[in-house]
Amino acid sequence: MGNLAGNGAVHVDLEPAADILKDNHYYLNMGPQHPSTHGVMRVLLEMDGEYIVNPQPVLGYGHRMQEKMGEHKNWMAFMPNTGRMDYAAALPYNHGFVALFERLCGIEVPIRAEYIRVITSELNRLVSHHLWMGAFLLDLGAFTPILYTFDDREQVLDILEDITGSRLTYCYFRVGGVCKDIDDNFVEKTRAFIKRQRERFDIYNDLVTGNIIFIKRAEGVGVISPEMACRYGVTGPVLRGSGIAYDVRKNEPYSVYPNFDFEIPVGSNGDCLDRYMVRLQEMEQSLRIIEQALDQLPDGPFLGKVPKKLKMPTGDCSSAVESARGELTYYLVSGGGDIPYRLKIRVPSYSNLSVLPELGQGILLSDLVTTMGSLDLVIPEIDR
Amino acid sequence: MHPATEKLISALSKLPVSVEACDYQERGYHFEIDLEVDKVRALAECMLAQGMYLVFVGGLHVKPAIEIVYQFASYERACRFVVRAVVKADNSMPTISDIYQGANWHERETRDFYGVVFTDHPNLVPLILAEEDVDLKPLLKKDEDLKEMAEVRWAPPIEEKTEAEKAEQG
Repeated sequence: MGNLAGNGAVHVDLEPAADILKDNHYYLNMGPQHPSTHGVMRVLLEMDGEYIVNPQPVLGYGHRMQEKMGEHKNWMAFMPNTGRMDYAAALPYNHGFVALFERLCGIEVPIRAEYIRVITSELNRLVSHHLWMGAFLLDLGAFTPILYTFDDREQVLDILEDITGSRLTYCYFRVGGVCKDIDDNFVEKTRAFIKRQRERFDIYNDLVTGNIIFIKRAEGVGVISPEMACRYGVTGPVLRGSGIAYDVRKNEPYSVYPNFDFEIPVGSNGDCLDRYMVRLQEMEQSLRIIEQALDQLPDGPFLGKVPKKLKMPTGDCSSAVESARGELTYYLVSGGGDIPYRLKIRVPSYSNLSVLPELGQGILLSDLVTTMGSLDLVIPEIDR
Repeated sequence: MHPATEKLISALSKLPVSVEACDYQERGYHFEIDLEVDKVRALAECMLAQGMYLVFVGGLHVKPAIEIVYQFASYERACRFVVRAVVKADNSMPTISDIYQGANWHERETRDFYGVVFTDHPNLVPLILAEEDVDLKPLLKKDEDLKEMAEVRWAPPIEEKTEAEKAEQG
C-alpha cells in the first residue's frame, strides 16, 4: 500500500491503431456479439499473429442515456432505472440511489429496514458472484461449473423473488426503507441456503480451484499492479486481487455494516487467479454478514415516514456503495424541487475495463478472454 | 484528521489551492475545492503523488459556463474530494489523461455529453455516443432549464436547516 504514494505520472502510450498497419499486423473484431464479452461490446484488436498489439474496447451499443433520464424524473420514477444498469447486482444500485436522497433530505431510516437492505444486498452479491463464476469458467471452456453455480443461484433468486417480486431487475428499496417486510419464511429459507452454500464451496474447490488446467490458464495472466490500479481508479474485487484492501463497506461505512464482523479478502499478485480467489472468499464473507444480520434482526417498522413529494435543498451530494463489481458512486446536483438538476453515475465496471488497453498489450488472444472474464464486466452498466 | 490527509492538504495549499472541509453526513464527501482552470493539472499531479485515485470526471451545465467536476478518493482512508473547475472561454479544458490514465474515457464521455474539448487528449473521439452523433451534446440544458451556478450550490446554514425541517414535517 505504501508504494502508492510518491509515484509520479507514468507515460503510457495508448495511441489509437494507425491507419496503415505495420508489417503483417491485422485487425480482429471481438464482438459486438461475442459470448465472452458478456453483452454487446466490441473489442477492436490489432494483432500480430496470435499476440495482441493494441486492444481498444468500443462501447455504447447499449447506451440508454440514464443520466439524462435522471434529470427528468423524481426519485420514485427513476427507481426502476437503477436496477437496469447492473442487472446482475441490482440491489446495491437501489441502495446507493435511495441513500443519496436520504442523505440530502435528512430522512431517518428504521433500523429494521437497514438490516433488510444489508441482507438482501449481500444475497444479491452472492447471486452476482454465482453468475460471474459460471460465466468466467465457461469463457475458459469449462462447461460444468455453470450448472452448479446456477443451481445455487436459483436458490437465492427464489428467496429474493418472494419478497421483492422480481428475479433480476429489482426495484425493492424505497427512500426511508424497503417496500415489503421480510417474514419468518424468508429467514428460514435464507438460513437453509447459508447451510447449503457452505457445503457447496467444497464442490467448487474440488471442481475448479485446484484444477491444473484452470491454474495454468489464470495464474500470472493479466497482472494489475497496485500503482496501475490507482492510475485507472480500479475498485472492487479486481482491486482487492492486487492486494489493496479497499472496500466501501469498511472504508466509508454506510447503512449498518459497522455492526458486522467480516473480513476483506485480498490477493497478492493481481492476476486472474487472485481475482478468482478473492471473489470466492467474498462469497463466504457475504454469508457471514447475512448470518449475523439474521441473528441481530430487530423488530420495528420497515418503512419510515417520508413526505410524498421530497423537497431537496440546493447543493450537491455524493453517495458511494460497494456493488458486486466495486465502488458505485451517485453524484447528485440539486437546484431545489424533487427532480435532480444533474445525476452522475460512476459505475465500477467502466473504470475496471479502462485498464484493458494497457493490460492487453502483448498478450495472447486466449489470455485476453481470461482477463476480461476476471474483470467481471456487465456491459449495460458500462454503457448506461 | 488522518496524518496522510493533513499531508495532502498541506501539499495542496502550496499550489496554492484553498480546500474547504464539508460535513460528510450531509454531503457524502469530505472536502470541496473550487479550482482555477490553469491549476487542474497541478492538482491532479499532486493527488496522484499522494496516492489518491480518480473516482470520476463529469460535467455540469450552469450559467455562465460549463463546470467540470472531478472526484478523488483514497484507497486507505475515508477521504473524498469534490473538485470543480469552470472551462476556459473557448469551451476547453486541459486533459489529465496523461496523469490519470483512467481519465481518458471519462473525458471522452464528457466531450460526448457536453462538447467540452480536452486539449492534448490523445484520442478524443466519441466513446459512448455513435460517431454520427458527435454534435448531439445531450446533457446541455435548454435555456429555460439552465440555472445560475449559485442556484445549485449549498445555501448558507440557516436556510439549510429550515429546508431540512420542512422535509421532515412534509
